[in-house]
Amino acid sequence: MSRTRYGFLIDLRKCIGCRTCQVACKVENDVPLGVYRTWVKQVEKGTYPNVRDHFFPIFCNQCERPACTQVCPVEATYSMDNGIVYIDPHRCIGCGYCMAACPYSVRFIHPTRKVAEKCDWCWPRVREGHGPPVCATNCPTGAMMFGDLADPKSQIARILARESAVVMKPESGNKPQTFYIGFDDEAARHVDVDGGHL
Amino acid sequence: MMESVLLYTVPKAESFGVAIAIYFYLTGLSAGSFIISTLAYGFGFEKYKPLGKIGVVIATVLLMIAPMFLLIHSGRPLRAWHLFIYLNGTSPISWGTFLLTLYPVNCIIYGYFMFKGNAVRTKLFGLIGIPLALMVHGYTGFILSFAKAHALWRSSMMPILFLTSALVSGVAMMILVTIIRDKLFTKSGEVNFELLEGLGKMLTWLLVFDLFLSLSDIGVHYFGEAESHEVASLLLFGAFAPFFLVLETLMGKVFPLILITAKPIRSVPVYGFAALLVMIGIMTMRLNVVLGGEFIPLL
Repeated sequence: MSRTRYGFLIDLRKCIGCRTCQVACKVENDVPLGVYRTWVKQVEKGTYPNVRDHFFPIFCNQCERPACTQVCPVEATYSMDNGIVYIDPHRCIGCGYCMAACPYSVRFIHPTRKVAEKCDWCWPRVREGHGPPVCATNCPTGAMMFGDLADPKSQIARILARESAVVMKPESGNKPQTFYIGFDDEAARHVDVDGGHL
Repeated sequence: MMESVLLYTVPKAESFGVAIAIYFYLTGLSAGSFIISTLAYGFGFEKYKPLGKIGVVIATVLLMIAPMFLLIHSGRPLRAWHLFIYLNGTSPISWGTFLLTLYPVNCIIYGYFMFKGNAVRTKLFGLIGIPLALMVHGYTGFILSFAKAHALWRSSMMPILFLTSALVSGVAMMILVTIIRDKLFTKSGEVNFELLEGLGKMLTWLLVFDLFLSLSDIGVHYFGEAESHEVASLLLFGAFAPFFLVLETLMGKVFPLILITAKPIRSVPVYGFAALLVMIGIMTMRLNVVLGGEFIPLL
C-alpha cells in the first residue's frame, strides 16, 4: 500500500456561508483573537435581482511544493510524509519569511507566542484518530471532505477522479492539495486594496 | 467583467514592514561605503585615499547596527542562534546568517591592517571584502525575489536593483561624509573638491543605471500579468505614487542627477544637497519596495 497523502475537497455548491468551520477551528485549535487559521471569504457578484454570494472557505492548502518550507531559514516548517505542512513552534524564530512567501496568506504570527502559525488540517487530532479535521466534521451541509488522495478507494479520491475540481491560484506552482468544486475564480481573486472586511 | 463586492475576508498580516526596510537601507549603505573604501586600498585609485579609513569604519559600524533591526522585527529574537545550527540551503536568510557574520569580521581585519599601515594585507582583505560586500547586499534582494507571494518582489530584478541602489546611496553618503569631515574636522575647512567631483561622476552613472533598472522594472510590471499590473498601478497612480514618483524618482534620482551634472552651478553646497536628496530617495525606495510590495492583500 502506498503512503498516505492527505487532501481536502470543498464542494462550494453545498457551502451556505455559515462560518461554522471558522468557529469550530477557533475552538479546537485555541486560535487567539484577531487571527484565523481558517475563514470564509465572501464575495457578492452581480446586482439585484441577479445576484449571488460566493463563499470560499480558506485555509492552508498543504501544498506539494510549498514556498513556505523553501524559504524558512531554520527549517521550522516542513512537509510531513503525509503531505501536511507542519510548524515546529519551538524552532520558529518568527521572522515572517514564510508569510511573505505564501500566495494564500494563510500564515500569521501568533500574538503571544510570537511564532508563525497556520492551519495543519488538525494534525494532532487526526493523528490521535479522533476523525477528520473539525471544520469538515462540523460542516452542516457536508461541503467539506478530508481524506487520503493516495488511496484510490477513498471517497475524496473517487470524487476527484470523476468531478472537475480546481485549486486556488494554480499559477503559484505550489501544487496546493485543497480542491474546490463550483469555484468562481474571478470572485475568489477579488481583493480590496484597503483590506475589505465587515 | 461582472460587478462584484468583497463582503468579508481576513485582512492580511504584514510580513516584513518598516524594520526590514531600514535593515535593507543600512546594509546597502555599508556595502556602498566599503566599496568606496577599497577603491584606494584595493585598486590603487589614489584620489579616493582620504575615504579609505573612514569608509571602512562606517561600513563596519553600519553592519553592526543593521542586524539589530532584524532582531527587532523577529518575533523570537532570543532564538537567533537557531539560524546558525538549523540551516536551509534554499532560504536566502540562511545564506545571510553567514554573510552577516563573515562580512563585518572581514571589515574589521581589513580596517586593522589599514590603520596598521600594512598595504599588502589591506589590499588582500579589501579584495576579499568586495564579493562579500556585494553578496551581503545582493542576498537581501534574493530575500524578496524568493518571497513569491508578492508580484513586486518575485522578480530577478531585485538583487541587481538592490545592489545598484546600495552603491547609489553609499556614494551619496560618501559625498556628505567628505563635506562634513573637511568642513568641520580639518584646520583649513577646505573641501577636497577633486574628490567630490570624482564621487559626483560615479554617482551620475550609478543614478542613470539605477533609473534605467527601476523604470524597466515598473514598466514591465505595469504591462505584465494581473498582480504585477496592480502593484505597478499602486506605485504609479495609487497610494504609493507620491512616494514612488515624487520622493523616490523625481526628488531622489532625477533632480539630484540634474544638480550634479549642471556644470555652471557645480559647488560644495550643491553636491551636499544632491547627496542628501539621493539618500532620502533611496530610503524611500526601500520603503516603497517593502511596504508597497506587500500592500495589496492576496485573498
